[in-house]
Amino acid sequence: MIDYSSDWQALATTVKMAGITTLLLLLLGTPLAWYLAKMQSRMKVLLEAVVALPLVLPPTVLGFYLLIAFAPNSLLGQWWQQVFGYQLAFSFSAIVIGSLLYSLPFVVQPLQKAFEQLPNNYLEAAAVLGAGPIDRFFHVVLPITKASFITAASLGFAHTVGEFGVVLMIGGNIPQETRVLSIALFDHVEAFNYQQAHMLALGLIIASTILLSLVYLINHPRRNQSRQSSGVN
Amino acid sequence: MPQLTIDITNSHLGFDFAINQSLNLQGILGVFGHSGSGKTTLLNTIAGLNSTSAGQVLFNNSTWLDNTSNTFIQPEKRNVSLVFQDARLFPHLNVIDNLKFAVKRCQSSQLKFDDIIELTQISHLLTKSPEEISAGEKQRVALARAILAEPQLLLLDEPLSALDQTSKIALIHLLKTVHQQLALPMIYVSHNLDEIQQLANQLLVLNQGKVTHLGDVHQIIHQLNHTGKIQQQTSLSLAVCVQDDSHGLTKLQLGDQYIYLLSERVKQQTTQLRCYIFANEISLTTTEANNSSIVNQLKAQIIDITTNQHQVLVQLACHGQNFFASISSYSLEKLALAPKQWVFMQFKASAVRT
Repeated sequence: MIDYSSDWQALATTVKMAGITTLLLLLLGTPLAWYLAKMQSRMKVLLEAVVALPLVLPPTVLGFYLLIAFAPNSLLGQWWQQVFGYQLAFSFSAIVIGSLLYSLPFVVQPLQKAFEQLPNNYLEAAAVLGAGPIDRFFHVVLPITKASFITAASLGFAHTVGEFGVVLMIGGNIPQETRVLSIALFDHVEAFNYQQAHMLALGLIIASTILLSLVYLINHPRRNQSRQSSGVN
Repeated sequence: MPQLTIDITNSHLGFDFAINQSLNLQGILGVFGHSGSGKTTLLNTIAGLNSTSAGQVLFNNSTWLDNTSNTFIQPEKRNVSLVFQDARLFPHLNVIDNLKFAVKRCQSSQLKFDDIIELTQISHLLTKSPEEISAGEKQRVALARAILAEPQLLLLDEPLSALDQTSKIALIHLLKTVHQQLALPMIYVSHNLDEIQQLANQLLVLNQGKVTHLGDVHQIIHQLNHTGKIQQQTSLSLAVCVQDDSHGLTKLQLGDQYIYLLSERVKQQTTQLRCYIFANEISLTTTEANNSSIVNQLKAQIIDITTNQHQVLVQLACHGQNFFASISSYSLEKLALAPKQWVFMQFKASAVRT
């Protein structure tokens, strides 16, 4: 009888990590994307390049520098220890911070594109109707760019679930804390537990396919509508 | 009386934009100019949507813009509504929610929602989405939305330019009614003089970012006749004497004389009618023609003759009203016309336009 309890724990850790990361990315990535979309300075290119770095760098590069930054003798590591009372390296918080950086472009880029394409017209119309900046964001920008937010959140979540290198370097492999699915899968393969490895690998493929299909479905409401109306005619 | 004082410059337009004018917004102020004359910049500066204009904008007792004291009141705080050329209904909201967007953010609540819906005749559109309705309907909804924000000033930026002729006429009547019923100060911007002639009491003319004319709409149109910037015309506002007689004509009173026009051009029951006659559609005779199919024949005195190559613009007075007739230099010579001379102006009923 195979014991799947550690795999379930890894799943729970993965979902928790990806969920928290996605939420934080939406909170932090939205203003960053807005700033980038409206930015006119020449520095924009540089900032865009920095945001896109995780797309091209091997995750181990990011993991390596984060490991140094999070070490107990580093400034950040010491500050973290003082404020939160536990070591940052090899903690759940560490893999969340790592994921934030690693998945940043997947959230920022679709949002930035949506904000750039959003006509200023609607914002002007809202302003002369008495809507201030925050009001305009929540009642005009957000509903009009809703599909891009769904894309950004889904890609951010899915990409974080698929993370391996960064988590391995800064999280270690601590059950219930930093042991996520991709690492559990790696462990199974190393131990020649191919049946369990198959369960995880196939499970991830199926879950990711479903998630991405949902994203594409939601992003094509117009196509669905026109199909429906042409059916009526 | 609502008072708008503007003293602004803008150096971001590729031409020198400088306006220093105090405007009494009693009635509707029309702003006329060709494209690129700075009309939209002017409106956007008043609304607060243009951050590149510098100087001063005062409305009644509030300062909206003042560079000397670093004052810039955000558009949402100015309580000004703007109806754009492209309605700009929010695509994610249906018609009623677009209207409620304005109502929710409105400070006062003097106007009844249902009254405005009825006034703008959009009750059948409420549950539709903006993409399901026509351009004319969109503008009616946009107007209703702007009114429901209960602004202290309503700005209209070429609101009719995307519409067909029928929708245009309907919306002009609607704007007149809105203005009469709500006594809302309005600034109406257009490059189309006909619209302004129908709506505005005062006319401000912009050219290359400068005010060239400001005053009573009819007088300014008559002044523009000499600039070559418009099709020369006579602009009138006359009392309706008989509306739609048995011949399909409507009779307007001018002193003890009458002007007839086609009743189909008079859309509503009205006591006062604005109309215009192009100068090249008025001809002059020195003797009264008793057997002519031309319906309108008015006795008038020549007050001015301006010759421009072979074209002559004759200005005439008839019961205190100025008329403009464009004739050839050949006719001028043949009839030996001279100032102070009395002549007869002839024009068809169909030459009187609204």
